[in-house]
Amino acid sequence: MTTTSAPGAAPGAGRAARGPGASAVAVLRLQTTKRFETFGSPLVVLGTGLLATALVALVVWRATPAGSGTWVEVSRGLQLVLWWLVGYMGYNGVQSVATTFPLALTLGTTRAAFTAGTVAHHVLVSAHVTLVALALLGLEQLTDRWFTGVHLLDSRLLGDGDPVRLVAILFLSQLAALSLGGAFAAVWVRHGPRVTFASGVAVVLVLALVAALVVPGVADLAGAFRLWWLSVLAVAVIAVCALVQTLALRRAAVR
Amino acid sequence: MSTTPAAATGGPAVRVRGATRRFAGAPALDDVTFDVAEHSVCGLLGRNGAGKTTLMSLLAGHDRPDAGTVEVLGEQPFENARAAGASLLVRDDQRYPDDFHLAHVLRVGPLFHPAWDAALAAEVVERFRIPSKPQVKKFSRGQRSALGILLGLASRAPLTILDEPVLGLDATARGHFGELLVREVSEHPRTVVLSTHLVDEVERVLDRVLVLDHGRLVLDAGVDEARDRAHVVLGPAEAVESATAGLRALSSRRVGGFLELVLEGPAAPATARAARAAGLQVRPAGLQELVAALGAGDAEPPATPRPAPVPSATPAPGAPR
Amino acid sequence: MLDDGTPLFHQIAQQVADGVVAGTFAEGAQVPSTTELAALHRINPATVGKGLALLVAEDVLHKRRGLGMFVSEGARERLVLRRRADLATTYVRPLVEEARSLGLDLDDVHHLIDQLDSEGAP
Repeated sequence: MTTTSAPGAAPGAGRAARGPGASAVAVLRLQTTKRFETFGSPLVVLGTGLLATALVALVVWRATPAGSGTWVEVSRGLQLVLWWLVGYMGYNGVQSVATTFPLALTLGTTRAAFTAGTVAHHVLVSAHVTLVALALLGLEQLTDRWFTGVHLLDSRLLGDGDPVRLVAILFLSQLAALSLGGAFAAVWVRHGPRVTFASGVAVVLVLALVAALVVPGVADLAGAFRLWWLSVLAVAVIAVCALVQTLALRRAAVR
Repeated sequence: MSTTPAAATGGPAVRVRGATRRFAGAPALDDVTFDVAEHSVCGLLGRNGAGKTTLMSLLAGHDRPDAGTVEVLGEQPFENARAAGASLLVRDDQRYPDDFHLAHVLRVGPLFHPAWDAALAAEVVERFRIPSKPQVKKFSRGQRSALGILLGLASRAPLTILDEPVLGLDATARGHFGELLVREVSEHPRTVVLSTHLVDEVERVLDRVLVLDHGRLVLDAGVDEARDRAHVVLGPAEAVESATAGLRALSSRRVGGFLELVLEGPAAPATARAARAAGLQVRPAGLQELVAALGAGDAEPPATPRPAPVPSATPAPGAPR
Repeated sequence: MLDDGTPLFHQIAQQVADGVVAGTFAEGAQVPSTTELAALHRINPATVGKGLALLVAEDVLHKRRGLGMFVSEGARERLVLRRRADLATTYVRPLVEEARSLGLDLDDVHHLIDQLDSEGAP
């Protein structure tokens, strides 16, 4: 992968050896230095999201005089977990660039290696949380919906209990959130808060415009079809964000 | 101890030619040219805003010049895989990730620098009393500086660049820094570039000084040579003026009826004798005085061209120095 | 190290030479390494090297390859003789000049020296 000069080697060895900071793996390891924050916190967020779903569903059920059918319906429709997780990942994405890039640069890395390592980090974290969620889904089904019938992971937005859809939705949405956070952080590092805010507004407006034009046409299409399009969209978003990140950081004056 | 510094590989560690960098139209660096010999300790001095940090960013490959070239260890450092691991720049306003603690920094250093010395890192932690409990974000100014020193020293990066490393450090800690730095440079030779305002304290540690003013290089000299670059005449205003008529003053200071002039070049023996006979004080300018004078901004227009760069060793490979 | 106007490497050489004269560094003994002196005084090792090289040129120290710097045979004597020779310019002349500028003549200077002697100063 990389050749490194031996410690205390003859002077001039530093010229020949390829610095390990150029490796994306070093950046990945930098990003995952804080073990608990990297792997533990997202699970805590996932857990609290599920718990919140259960509690809110409970509250709603208690509030309505109809039978337990309503509770099930409500919990199926609750989208808490997804937004909760996505929001948290957005924050993480920002962190992974805004405060990690300056340190990586100081230690010695190229922008290309940094972006590669950061994307790898995002993939790793998304996959990790998705797998845990998948396991929980299995558990939910095994315990016959947590012995109470409440739908936590088997909800409409998370694929209605279909593991393939769950994986696709969770993985891609988290990765997209991380990528978006990273891209915006990169723009912020490069251009400062005002440009970032302005570009954020611009992106939202463009998306709203596109959605307004496109959505009526797809409203009557099957759910699975919609998922496939969203997946493609998510991948596109992730790719674009990686590009934005590289370009923005390239000329970033980290002063 | 056995090899003389530049003889090892020939050629300077840093080679800058006509580097210019502009921000929002104004030049932060303006046509800067100099060499830094391998394994030397070079001080980068000048007022705030003179361009020191910008220059260090260029050397570290964090930024690219708008014009001119920057070569570090034979390569252009920007977006350069090879150069990235060979240099390290610790800034005075270094940002660390949220929730980062000392232990994380210690874990991360070796990932980027294979020559990382954990024992030295531990020594720095102990000597500077860097705390392990609080987040790095919550460190005091001095503790952040100490952490920067830790990264700079323990990494053994062939080109180590330190931006105001002693900012906020107490006197004891500054002493530790001086001692560790020279010990390190002596036992494990590497090229060091550091910027500071505490010129008097740091002078003894340096081989060479570069002074920037408004983005231009106004002094490029060995530390010993620098003594010959200016002299000071002090006394009653009128006497000083008559004694120094026709000489170029870098800076002047009036307090009461007294005038202190920092003049370019060494004092001519005849002039010095005459001045002393007239009861004036004449002495060579210390480095700190010289740097302050160069930054005073009230120098008369130069009669002589700006200092020429030091000729570098012949870059022919294998040729003895 | 004081900034008394002489170059730093000179001051280092002076300090080591003082050590030889005082007997701290006996003939044949090793003097502190460049690293040790640099770290002790917090001075650039190249400067220390220059100072030690100066002493080598003056035949006070010699280098043993791979081992370090050692005090040469007869170094102490050479230094003492040299310093005796320099005593006049380094101390006596300035003493006389200063005395003269204060209005004292040579007899007064002799008198001062006798006073010192009777006080039992070393």
